[in-house]
Amino acid sequence: MPQSEGIDPVLNDAYMYVCSSSELEEDDLFECEIGTETIVVGRGEANVYAVQGICSHAHAELVDGELDGTCLTCPLHFACFDIRDGSVLEGPAEAPLQVYKAIEADGSVWVSKERG
Amino acid sequence: MAAENTMVIAGAGIAGVHAAESLRAEGYQGRVVLMDRDRQMPYDRPPLSKEWLTDDTDEASMLLRDPEIYGKLDIELKLGVEVNDIDPVRKTITAKDGSSYDWEKLLLATGSKLRTLSIAGDDLQGIFYLRRMADAVAMKQHMQHVNEVVIIGAGFIGAELASSLRKLGIDVTIVERSSYPMEAVVGRDISASLLNLHDRHGVNVILNDSVVQFNGESTVEEAITAEGRRLPCQAVMIGVGATPNTVVSHPQLEAEGGYAVNEFGETSIPDIYAAGDCTLWPYRGTPIRVEHWDHAVNHARTVAQNMLQPRSTPYTYTPYFWSDQHGSRFQYFGHAKQWSKTVLRGSLESHAFTNFYLDDQNRVQAAFIANQPKNALPVRRMIKQQKVIDPEALADETIALKKVPQKSVMNNT
Ligand SMILES: Cc1cc2nc3c(=O)[nH]c(=O)nc-3n(C[C@H](O)[C@H](O)[C@H](O)COP(=O)(O)OP(=O)(O)OC[C@H]3O[C@@H](n4cnc5c(N)ncnc54)[C@H](O)[C@@H]3O)c2cc1C
Ligand code: FES
Repeated sequence: MPQSEGIDPVLNDAYMYVCSSSELEEDDLFECEIGTETIVVGRGEANVYAVQGICSHAHAELVDGELDGTCLTCPLHFACFDIRDGSVLEGPAEAPLQVYKAIEADGSVWVSKERG
Repeated sequence: MAAENTMVIAGAGIAGVHAAESLRAEGYQGRVVLMDRDRQMPYDRPPLSKEWLTDDTDEASMLLRDPEIYGKLDIELKLGVEVNDIDPVRKTITAKDGSSYDWEKLLLATGSKLRTLSIAGDDLQGIFYLRRMADAVAMKQHMQHVNEVVIIGAGFIGAELASSLRKLGIDVTIVERSSYPMEAVVGRDISASLLNLHDRHGVNVILNDSVVQFNGESTVEEAITAEGRRLPCQAVMIGVGATPNTVVSHPQLEAEGGYAVNEFGETSIPDIYAAGDCTLWPYRGTPIRVEHWDHAVNHARTVAQNMLQPRSTPYTYTPYFWSDQHGSRFQYFGHAKQWSKTVLRGSLESHAFTNFYLDDQNRVQAAFIANQPKNALPVRRMIKQQKVIDPEALADETIALKKVPQKSVMNNT
């Protein structure tokens, strides 16, 4: 997997296990918690990505929205974000989403516990 | 006289602000003048009945945009300017203070105005309507010394206020004239389920009754109903609906039930457009009025495009609103004045369901979603596509919404 960059997440406690690779099909979204942060992980155009799970506009869980390619749509007022870098593609949201590093290794999806 | 290269927008509410921004986003280089009778910087309205009352929020967090945005986008914001008169020949709009503005094109985005009641004693303190920030500020301040509140009207605003006040531990009684609030929009079953939610959260709802008198020294102390109930209270909130605000008028401007606009937002006078709550606009050919946030945003954006490129972009959005009550989230898509059948997917008891309103060909005209936000986007698509759907599959939660069989309508059948 290109994103794993040789990291072995099992040995690296900077990463958290999210789900098995087969549970996350194209355009699927999966929500998880790191500490008090809600994170949404998705597979867009074959790669896995992770961003903050609560919309930056008002209060809605993005896991209830839809991922189409790399465009993540919020289910409340339909803001669209680029799941790759969290940027706003379409309002009403103005602030980008925080991005987390997601990787795939050994048939599992992992997300970094630190932002960025 | 008519100003070349000037777009004037009357009303800096949800529609007005989004229209001004869209003009710039579309590359418009001329003057953009955005005026409002309110003196506050443009603010958002939905939170006024929700977070504003319950959370420790300040006025700054209610602003629709960072105040610097207007300068950055070169939008001339004129606050405290109440316009009332237009001259379509000279292309001017005049304010009550006598100031006058020339335009090349004008957008009316004056929103709605609240229905008011005339009740004996309604000049007492502690009786509120909620539309503007100033109402919300006064209301929040007064709520600090209040134990019991009477709300008149169990519509969405009344219901949201009840929910916010319960969260603050205040005793709430709603007095509602009908036996099933909002039945015309959501149907009887859903109306009953909304009442059940109030009940579960300790709101006392009185149906088939109305308030006829307020008593008190200087502040309201009790509300008296037609049926003779005496309801002690230290505050009253009235939410009995709204009508289009068409104060800016002209004999040639059709404004019966809202400024009449076509699919491009054009009114009956050339170069005058209208958007948002104040309009009567064609949804699938039928003129309707929608008093919701999402419509105001999208209508304004589309109309702004048409102001720059006449008749380039017809407005085809599916009407939508959301409402937060007692920890539940409701979402409603579409528009249905009547329907042939309804299909319930999920359970009313658990307040997690989607109720579909179908026409006689089994096409989804509208849907009410309770606490199933995952259904929002698929439902919106269904209403947009207008395909014939299998009602049994629609009700079956084991079949994913996306997988419910749909087929296009045959025109020759
Ligand atoms: C308390 C509350 C809660 C709401 N909650 C929800 C919700 O949960 N979901 C939802 O979908 N919708 C909700 N709405 C509805 C939503 O806010 C409106 O549909 C939306 O504001 C309409 O936008 P608008 O721009 O058409 O009108 P407005 O936002 O009302 O803006 C109109 C503006 O025009 C100005 N104006 C009027 N007349 C003049 C004049 N003569 N001269 C100059 N300026 C003038 C007004 O001051 C106002 O600022 C709520 C509304 C309220 C009041
Ligand atoms: S909460 Fe996501 S767009 Fe408003």
